[in-house]
Amino acid sequence: MGYLTDSLITAIELISSFDREVTLAIWTSLYTSSCAIVFASLLGVPIGLWLGINLFRGRRVMITLLNTLMALPTVVVGLILFGVFSRQGPAGSLGLLFTPWAMIAGQMVLATPIVANYVLAAVDGSDQRIMNTVLTLGASRFQASLQLLKEIRFGVMAAVIAGFGRVIAEVGVAMMLGGNIRGSTRTMTTAIALETSKGEFAFGLSLGIVLLSVALFVNLFLNLLQQR
Amino acid sequence: MKPVISIKDVLVRQGEDFTLSIESLDLQPRRIYTLMGPNGAGKSTLLRTMALLTLPEKGRIRVADTGSGNLAQQRQKVTLVEQSPYLLSGTVSDNLAFGLKLRGIRGSEQKRRILYALAMASLDGFESRKASKLSGGELQRVALARALVLEPEVLLLDEPTSNVDSKSLQAFEELLRKLPDHGVTVVLSTHDLLLAERLGGEMLRIENGCLVHRTGRSSERHTAEEKKSWLKLLNAQGH
Repeated sequence: MGYLTDSLITAIELISSFDREVTLAIWTSLYTSSCAIVFASLLGVPIGLWLGINLFRGRRVMITLLNTLMALPTVVVGLILFGVFSRQGPAGSLGLLFTPWAMIAGQMVLATPIVANYVLAAVDGSDQRIMNTVLTLGASRFQASLQLLKEIRFGVMAAVIAGFGRVIAEVGVAMMLGGNIRGSTRTMTTAIALETSKGEFAFGLSLGIVLLSVALFVNLFLNLLQQR
Repeated sequence: MKPVISIKDVLVRQGEDFTLSIESLDLQPRRIYTLMGPNGAGKSTLLRTMALLTLPEKGRIRVADTGSGNLAQQRQKVTLVEQSPYLLSGTVSDNLAFGLKLRGIRGSEQKRRILYALAMASLDGFESRKASKLSGGELQRVALARALVLEPEVLLLDEPTSNVDSKSLQAFEELLRKLPDHGVTVVLSTHDLLLAERLGGEMLRIENGCLVHRTGRSSERHTAEEKKSWLKLLNAQGH
């Protein structure tokens, strides 16, 4: 018990003293996850919207595929993109492996199906009269789609937050594509894994507390949105 | 006079159970038309088809001389107010401004038209009211004002009096009667034959997706044949 209490006290000291290692890992996590979620949203929101408002042959298959992609194991994404970005891979010449950009690409792959699925659910659950109302007021189909997004904005925000929650907490992609390089690609999750294995439990705990705080903040925000 | 809406051999299929089939229907500008018929006869489908929201599987529908325009441009000539209208999030003013912005109308002209349309719908002072806080009757009138502000050539109303109390109904009828003088053709669906008679327009009766009857305007119903036709419609409505 004393070990846990001592570790907790040390962890709080590390956070409150803005320890450089801790701060760097937090910054890298927030930076890569934020970039990944921006790109995932740019891709996932239109996909979810398009699937939601268009009825076509093969739509069910696409939705099933999207659902399957939501459960993608992070190490599998890491493995595939490792092959793509490694020197012998098709994108090897870009030299992205073990850089934050490789991590961003991997996290984007993880988050896009989540964002698309949440937006699809928001469109499916939206009032069916919205599109007809906007169209009869003279909007083109594109303008109507934009207005629909505005009407379901809380659902879209929930989609983005859910995607962010997934990528900030993942470890497989960050470890395999980032390489856990100190000061460059070491995130909160990879640092926790490394430091704990080295016996630096207090350090890992400090990052765990920050990670939990981020998750708590994200969930609080999501609840607030749902109440509106 | 060139018809404002012209329908020829139109076929609209809704699922496996219902088909709207209209051989020929021309609606003249600046008139009131009342669409009548039992529930499920196809009144709402016909109105949505006229509004170009439901596109026919076969046939041709021409709206307000917009042959070469794209669908959005054609839709800007005709506005549908549904039986249970949806108001966009935001204020009453935001709702009225939406269609105007799409037409490039902004600034003082936008404001003037919004205030005028609200006054027409007896909604003075409602500009900044939240759409989500309105009562059923107010919501219906805002939807009407949102359509009127666009000054459409054709105004389609799907059972517009279903949520209107008796006091508002009188004002609503007066407003509808004035619209043809402002260049608007009104097509409304209703179960209220007396309302249709008071409005004095032509009556169209639809059953099982087909137009089965058409009477002239009440003021033109002089001949014995026309009176007989009117009585037939009256009987069909159960009056």
